[in-house]
Amino acid sequence: MTGHLSEESVVEMASGEGDPAAREHAASCPECSGRVHDCRASLALLQQTEIPEPAPLYWESLRSGVRQKIAEDKRRVSAWTLLVPLAAAAALVLVIWNGPTKPAPVVAAPSLPAWSPLPAAEDDEGLRVLEGVALSAEGEADLEAPAGLAPYLAGLSEEESRALAETLRGRGPGGES
Amino acid sequence: MTSTALALPLGFASSAVPGDGAGLERDAERAAIAACRRGEREAFDLLVARYQRPIYRLCYRYVNNHDDANDLAQEAFLKAWRAISSFRGESAFSTWLYRIAVNACLNHRALRRPVTQELEEGLADPNPGADAAVARDHEARRVRAAVSRLPERQRATLILKVYHDLTHAEVAEILGSTVGTVKANLFHALANLKRQMQSGESRT
Repeated sequence: MTGHLSEESVVEMASGEGDPAAREHAASCPECSGRVHDCRASLALLQQTEIPEPAPLYWESLRSGVRQKIAEDKRRVSAWTLLVPLAAAAALVLVIWNGPTKPAPVVAAPSLPAWSPLPAAEDDEGLRVLEGVALSAEGEADLEAPAGLAPYLAGLSEEESRALAETLRGRGPGGES
Repeated sequence: MTSTALALPLGFASSAVPGDGAGLERDAERAAIAACRRGEREAFDLLVARYQRPIYRLCYRYVNNHDDANDLAQEAFLKAWRAISSFRGESAFSTWLYRIAVNACLNHRALRRPVTQELEEGLADPNPGADAAVARDHEARRVRAAVSRLPERQRATLILKVYHDLTHAEVAEILGSTVGTVKANLFHALANLKRQMQSGESRT
């Protein structure tokens, strides 16, 4: 055998086990025999250490305590096994009572651009319309209002048309801006 | 429900209940386990009677006081009852039960104060005139205090190996470890114990 005894071999020898090679080594190696001796001494000390013995009647109270815990545990489990189906039944009744719930239709939010450039003035149809409205309201227009706008303009009174024209020109109704 | 006593050998029930129930034989134990798996609580009472003493003592070695040992032992048996349908007999019932008890001890965090504190309170004043019994009690407290300071795996290994007369393989199975690890843990536990006892002597 080469080297000293491993920790495992020391424990085996201290416990009365160990193979012949380990025993032979320990017999000729003071260091290893010292380690085995220390382990044996600690084991002997531990084995002499008693714990207080409970009173003889204690064992019946221990069994009684276990019986009680098992009974309580069974009651708890029974309560749960009763409550869970009851809760499920209640939920089912609620669903039937309210009818099948349809999911609300999902309306997509309008997607508006955060910013868009204005068209150039010569390309802006809206400006031409406004100009036409303003001039025709004053009877000065040689521009015709777009066809789609005529019904709306026809519905305005003379005073409303004038006010609209002044507003578009930058003058508030009844005064200079 | 069939009576558990009928499922067990004659005389078993009466001999098993008092004391540590040493009369419970292997066949009777198997019959009791089978009855427990059918939900017969009386059969479990017989298993409790059989193992209450070693399980209580294991717990006591771990927590060093009666009240916590009692609570832990009851908790271990309750867990065993809940899980007995999963016991397949691949290991001995005792090994399975020890494993449950050790886990209960390892998980135990409800102590009001460190175990060593309680033990060391009794170490403060070894009366020079005390008789041999008092001296032995004092020495036992010192040893138990030293054991309680060991790292948990070392402590569990030491308690199972030294106080429950189990083989290294059985301890390994209980702790979910290997035989080599058990031996190494035991070696370090004994070495730590020796150091602690020596440092305690140098303080006194």
